[in-house]
Amino acid sequence: MIAVAPQERVLQAFGEAVGTLIDDFDLIDALHRLCARGVELLDVTAVGIMLAGPHGDLQVLAASDERTGVLELFGLQSEEGPCAESYRSGEALVNAGLAAPDGTARYPLFAERARQAGYATAHALPLRLRQRSIGAIGMLHAGPHTLDPEGVRLGRTLADVATLAVLQQHTIEQGNVERAQVQAALVSRTVIEQAKGVLAEHWTTGVDEAFDALRGYARRHGERLADVARGIIDGTLGTEALR
Amino acid sequence: MGTSAEMAAVLQTLHPVTGAQGLIGTDPESCARVLGVDGVALSLLTSDGTAEMVWASEGDSRRLEDLQFTLGEGPCVDAVGRGSLVIEPDLSRLPADRWPVLLPELAALGIGAVFCFPLLVGRVCMGILTLQRRAAGPLTDAGMDDALILTGALTAVLLDGGAASDALMAVERPSDLYRAAVHQATGMISVQAGIPLSQALLRLRAYAYRHGRPILEVAEDVVARRLDFRNDGPEPDPSGRKRG
Repeated sequence: MIAVAPQERVLQAFGEAVGTLIDDFDLIDALHRLCARGVELLDVTAVGIMLAGPHGDLQVLAASDERTGVLELFGLQSEEGPCAESYRSGEALVNAGLAAPDGTARYPLFAERARQAGYATAHALPLRLRQRSIGAIGMLHAGPHTLDPEGVRLGRTLADVATLAVLQQHTIEQGNVERAQVQAALVSRTVIEQAKGVLAEHWTTGVDEAFDALRGYARRHGERLADVARGIIDGTLGTEALR
Repeated sequence: MGTSAEMAAVLQTLHPVTGAQGLIGTDPESCARVLGVDGVALSLLTSDGTAEMVWASEGDSRRLEDLQFTLGEGPCVDAVGRGSLVIEPDLSRLPADRWPVLLPELAALGIGAVFCFPLLVGRVCMGILTLQRRAAGPLTDAGMDDALILTGALTAVLLDGGAASDALMAVERPSDLYRAAVHQATGMISVQAGIPLSQALLRLRAYAYRHGRPILEVAEDVVARRLDFRNDGPEPDPSGRKRG
């Protein structure tokens, strides 16, 4: 592999994400790819993107690894954890150890579950939209990990790309666009989870296999994940079509 | 995102319902004032897919609800179908074929802007909150935040099914409702019991209450196949608003 300077690789990731924004793009899949890029660029084990719902609770929008265990670890940070703190403060929170005393004192439940899953370090950066914070991007690493100033800059670029992607969704609304886009993104994610359950039960498989099938179908047919999920739930798309 | 003090007062008046009426204690006119519009209406979707207006300002908002459900077209119908917000800050600029019969009626009433907020959990839609205003233009940022918060609180109260006496879901943080396992379990239960997603979610919630367990924990059992709803006792109330 050709060695590419980190900044150039960020630009590549940026271009890859924005390149998909031209028409009707698949937000959830684009963010999943962005998270996967984040893992490579920052040399961490997992990256997740969270968006705040109307109550200010964070919800997982996408992760580098869509397996349920990883989604749930980010999901646990809805109210406590580095992502929640970073979202609330609007500041970066990096190099947070998950072991005692820090991790256990500030976010006991998250830190314990993360340690059980084999993670030792967490970072989080806010998703900023003008003067307000709309969510957070979080990183987890299996060992000790330091995000240096350059790493923080890369993380901020990823956060900005994620924010842009949320704002690029095609919504038909003419006003109140930004808040409507955040809301639409959260609904899309939930619809996908519901469809995973429907498929898993139909096929007697796990929800992770169901997601792979959803994504495989969406990519083969150039459709958005959330649209495929809606089709499955509404019965307009047969579950057999995805196998 | 924060709640305005006025909206916090409205949220305090939300309570679990046994009948359709009385879901929101606040009068609709003052709620409309808080949101910066001329009128508000809330319609709930019944199990047969029709809508029932349960709370509305006098006058135009009631008329708007009646017209939409009579004509079968309009922002609410679109919001339910698409499962997304419908924000139309300037009805005069819409193409006539958007709602061919409704638009002239709204113009005659003098309604200039409509904002529909479906009570959504993914593909589950419990009802629609509709705001209308004579003057065209978007909601203020604070008004939009308040409308989204009210929508979320109403959704939570309806899912609560009247089971938790005075434990207001509106003031609790319903963050469990946004966890992946809850939605995955909802999808699984709908297939297991052969019921729509909305009823599956209510059944999951009712089971959690009945057994005094957090909904997330029950959902994780369903996803891990330690629990299934193929034969989950008596049918819950079909309206989903009362616990059987």
